[in-house]
Amino acid sequence: MPAPAPTIELSPAARTATRDLILVLADSKRLLGMRYAEWILGAPELEASIACAAMAQDEWGHARLLYALLKDLGDDVDRLEHGREPAEYCSLEALDLPPQDWPDLVVLNALADAALTTQCEALLGSAYAPLAQRVEKLLEEERFHAAHGAAWLRRLARAGESARGTLALPLTAALPALLRWLGPDSPRAAALREAGVVNATGSALRARYLERIAPLLAELGDAAPPRAPAAPDFAGFDEARRRVSTHGPDAATVARIRGDKNRVFLMD
Amino acid sequence: MVYEVFARTSRGEPLRNIGNLNAPNDELARIYAYSTYDEERWFDMWVVPRDRLLPVFNAEAGTLLER
Repeated sequence: MPAPAPTIELSPAARTATRDLILVLADSKRLLGMRYAEWILGAPELEASIACAAMAQDEWGHARLLYALLKDLGDDVDRLEHGREPAEYCSLEALDLPPQDWPDLVVLNALADAALTTQCEALLGSAYAPLAQRVEKLLEEERFHAAHGAAWLRRLARAGESARGTLALPLTAALPALLRWLGPDSPRAAALREAGVVNATGSALRARYLERIAPLLAELGDAAPPRAPAAPDFAGFDEARRRVSTHGPDAATVARIRGDKNRVFLMD
Repeated sequence: MVYEVFARTSRGEPLRNIGNLNAPNDELARIYAYSTYDEERWFDMWVVPRDRLLPVFNAEAGTLLER
């Protein structure tokens, strides 16, 4: 394995943007893990339930690694994990509500997880060494998630008109928000790229993402989402949280991921 | 469709049957095998549809089986 790049001194702007990016990824992975976990009982077949359990564990592992990095960037990690209100979460908007049915979850698996992976890949070889070290292992595990999401999306797409039809709505709802999530080509994004923390931002990330999901979308036929505009609408987009909505995930989910019922066991 | 799962823990060791699973197609069978049988560090793993196993012989028949 190549030696990790030395940690560079980040400018205050790059440091803030790095911190925010890590929190966005950590929160999104924690939420996604919970969305997978909700299907450990109730997936269409036992083997799919087991796959959801594996993916949930992976995502929570990734979240934990990422939250831990925030200590070096001045955060109180305990508060981040156990002390925030829903509106303080920086997770993907696509994860705000529990999936309504299995096709809804498949779309998250195939498209939302892929957006997170596209962002994580942009951290390979990051000049912020602690990140560079962790994303490699994490991306290895993500290959399984991508394979599962793709296989299920294909299965539904090929299972006939009514199965394919169940995908149309969640795909059309998710894709524009995920493309927007990859962010604008802003001075803040440029500061991250120029510091070498990421190797791509905004429209370059969107191009990579669209290339990644193109083979899947090509199989969807009439369930494919309408072609997204070249540039998303960033009106009201909060770059730090990567969200337009000022709400967060549903309160019940936040209570669970925060561990409200287990607070008594937080002994040290 | 039922798939049989085969694996070994090191190079050169014979493959052994470690279990089976249900999957609708080959693609999901491979994926399900990966997540279902992940408790050991396997050297490699294979799946095959059970109906592709060809019968050769069994003790009750006592001789080469008819196909």
